[in-house]
Amino acid sequence: MRRTAERMADAGNTVSICSLRVGTGMFGIDTRQIREVLGTTAPQRVPLAPEYIAGVVPYRGDVLTTVSFRALLGLERRAGANCVLVFADEENEERFGLMVDGVGGVIAVGRSLLEANPSGLDARSQELFDGAYKLQSGLMVRLDPQRLRPSRLAESGLFDGLKQERQGEPR
Amino acid sequence: MELCLTELEQRPDDGELVAEIFRAVHTIKGTTGFLGFGRLERLAHAGESLLGALRDGKLAVSTVLISGLLELMDGLRMILQMIEAGGTEGERSTDNDSELIALLTKLKGEGEELGPEGDPPSHNRDAGQPVSPTAASGAAVTAGSSTQDKTLRIDVEVLNRMMNLVGELVLTRNQILRCSPGAKDFPELARRLDSVTAELRESVMRARMQPVGHLFRKFPRMVRDLARTCGRTVRIEFEGQETGLDKSLLEAVRDPLTHAVRNAVDHGIELAEERVKAGKPAEGVIRLRAFHQSGSVVIEVIDDGAGISTERVLAKAMERGLVTVEQAGTMSQREALQLIFVAGFSTTQQVTNVSGRGVGLDVVRANVERVGGSVELESRVELGTTLRMRVPLTLAIIPALVLRSGGQNFALPQNSLAELVYVPRREAEQTVERMGTTELYRLREGLLPLVWLDRLLGLEQSADTAELGLSIAVVESEGRRFGLVVDDLKAPEEIVVKPLSAELREIGVFSGATVLGNGTLALILDVAAMGARAGVRPVAEEGNVVGMELARAEAAQRVLAQNEIESSMVIYETGKDGSAEDGKSERMAMPLSAVERIESVPLSEIEYAGGRAVLQYRGELIPLEDECGMLREMSVAEGTASAGNAEKDGATATVLICLRPEARGVRRVGMVVRRVLDVSAGTLLAADAAASEEQLAIVKNRVTTVHRDFARVGGPPTAILKEVA
Repeated sequence: MRRTAERMADAGNTVSICSLRVGTGMFGIDTRQIREVLGTTAPQRVPLAPEYIAGVVPYRGDVLTTVSFRALLGLERRAGANCVLVFADEENEERFGLMVDGVGGVIAVGRSLLEANPSGLDARSQELFDGAYKLQSGLMVRLDPQRLRPSRLAESGLFDGLKQERQGEPR
Repeated sequence: MELCLTELEQRPDDGELVAEIFRAVHTIKGTTGFLGFGRLERLAHAGESLLGALRDGKLAVSTVLISGLLELMDGLRMILQMIEAGGTEGERSTDNDSELIALLTKLKGEGEELGPEGDPPSHNRDAGQPVSPTAASGAAVTAGSSTQDKTLRIDVEVLNRMMNLVGELVLTRNQILRCSPGAKDFPELARRLDSVTAELRESVMRARMQPVGHLFRKFPRMVRDLARTCGRTVRIEFEGQETGLDKSLLEAVRDPLTHAVRNAVDHGIELAEERVKAGKPAEGVIRLRAFHQSGSVVIEVIDDGAGISTERVLAKAMERGLVTVEQAGTMSQREALQLIFVAGFSTTQQVTNVSGRGVGLDVVRANVERVGGSVELESRVELGTTLRMRVPLTLAIIPALVLRSGGQNFALPQNSLAELVYVPRREAEQTVERMGTTELYRLREGLLPLVWLDRLLGLEQSADTAELGLSIAVVESEGRRFGLVVDDLKAPEEIVVKPLSAELREIGVFSGATVLGNGTLALILDVAAMGARAGVRPVAEEGNVVGMELARAEAAQRVLAQNEIESSMVIYETGKDGSAEDGKSERMAMPLSAVERIESVPLSEIEYAGGRAVLQYRGELIPLEDECGMLREMSVAEGTASAGNAEKDGATATVLICLRPEARGVRRVGMVVRRVLDVSAGTLLAADAAASEEQLAIVKNRVTTVHRDFARVGGPPTAILKEVA
């Protein structure tokens, strides 16, 4: 079923995108890149880990490291359970989860609607975002899961200081 | 085959062995010829004709001959590896088949010349012999088992059993799926699931178990080659080859063990002349011994060499600036030996290509500790050295203690846990003392640095825990000993270790994660890393592996110390029944450790000798103490009962079989009591002079008299037990 849907989408020069809610923003990820959507789970926090690591969740007999997208955007941590999407890198060696506030539906979007990152974006957003779809309801920022891998985030070094900055702000 | 060859060197007259090697080479030759590997065939042919001569008795076994044959093995193996890698035999310029073939033919020719006399080729050939065996064996050791690592031989029986269990598991799952929540057979199903899982786990573990002998197999060859390059005569012996060890662990100890054996050959065993001078046989012996011991596998590398001189170790350590002269002066022998494990340490005078560069024992220790094991070293000058590696049976499942801190669960591996201490709230203020910024707890005679887990991990402190006392887990790892303060200690659990992703491993404090029984995740704490993070220094005395005996003695003392304060008591009632007119029944207590058994003895079995009650107990005649006339009372009661009611079975007396300390050792006695009430922990009160000789204890908030014979007159009860054993 999914295959045919994808093929039709490809044929019609559209891509199927899974929409996500994080904070007030809307984001989208190509459905072909998503391995699994775990319902609401509460990750076990890992002390001393970088702020953007939401914690670990059990996943098919393994322990899956999850990235908190809220933290990456510089938002407050949200209490309670959240949705986790599971991704893997191309070689299928590194698996990780992405924690978002909620998962919307799957929509077909025309390829022509995609616009690359504008030049005025700050370094962090440049790193996280992968263009945006100009939908009628508003902009849907496209995400590339490969850019959100914990190992890559650690390498970039852009997100190491999240906690200190946040703590500096008056609450 | 290699094993056969080294064995052949030991027993040159064994015709069977020669025939076996000949057959093996012949098979290789035949098969390769058939498959069209010309190069392999030529080499095998040369070897075969040499072995043929050997078999027919035209040649005698000599060291050179064996070396030649071993080289042949290496040559064959190299080509086989090339075939495995590329599918062809390959033709590299460096391959010197022809040289090898020439060597083999020469050996054969030489042998035939000398034939009838059977003299081995003289030793002057040794000098001319290329030193390639070691180089080749190095290659062989590293690449020897590329195909073996990925496959495993499993007993079909075990596999069948596993399949059966999986079938049962599926059936149980089906039943559980169909069963409605709250069904009354649910506990039954849960129990079955539990037993199936346990059995399945056990059989999978058994399948993963490999005999340690697999690991030992390469050593005869290695030791032989090494010994020759070092100019020593060494024999290797094995013991306990069938001891099973998890496959992954077997791989993990492969390198450390190789290191240890190399060390033993190069440093342990002395040169033949020195050995003779010291009154030892010229041939040195290295023994590899493997055995199971309390949940772990111990592998020992024992040599009968010169041993390690502590003076030399200390001198070297001072030279390197590892210890100061003052420190060296106060160091005990085992502390000094411990220095050997420090990186870059080597006492040998010259650096050989085998070892002596000081990258040895520290690597051995690091590798073994990585898999949760430990290394001990014992050495006696002139008598030899024993290196003992202790590795857990399996890596994947470990016993752990689940604890809580900052609202999160953590798992603490039991192997690093020494003891648990709980300090009530009102005492916490006084018992925790400060020295600078370090908080210390006075644990018996020593000071224990305290580490607050929530503070260490930057967790939010839960407010409600301030009301509770301090829960301290005394942990010990890599010489660091400290008290880990947590909010709550929960149940011990067998946990399945899951690896963390690389980014989380980098934090260093966690060695993995696990799913607990309630389905939540818990991080597994790495005690050594936590200690390092908290700045707890390793204490030289503790964690010293050589001093195991001492540590054990200490632990025993600890137990004794605890017994002084608190011990389990058997509470019983003695004297007249409570309903009797004078109402004189009394609660008495006796240390549980002094009680061997509680028996119900029919009155008819109690016999009298010289007016004293005795009991035949397991072929032994033990006196019965009947302090309150229980027996008489009962026999009277029975007398009237049997008169009135003949059907009634003989009444029984409750007898505590105890070990009573006496002037000389201990003695078994039977205490006749009315009834045993309970077994409970009690606190002994300090002997009060006013209360005469009575020793009192508080058991379950009631003052109870401890039986005078057992009120530790003859020392703590554990000592008594030991004497009996």
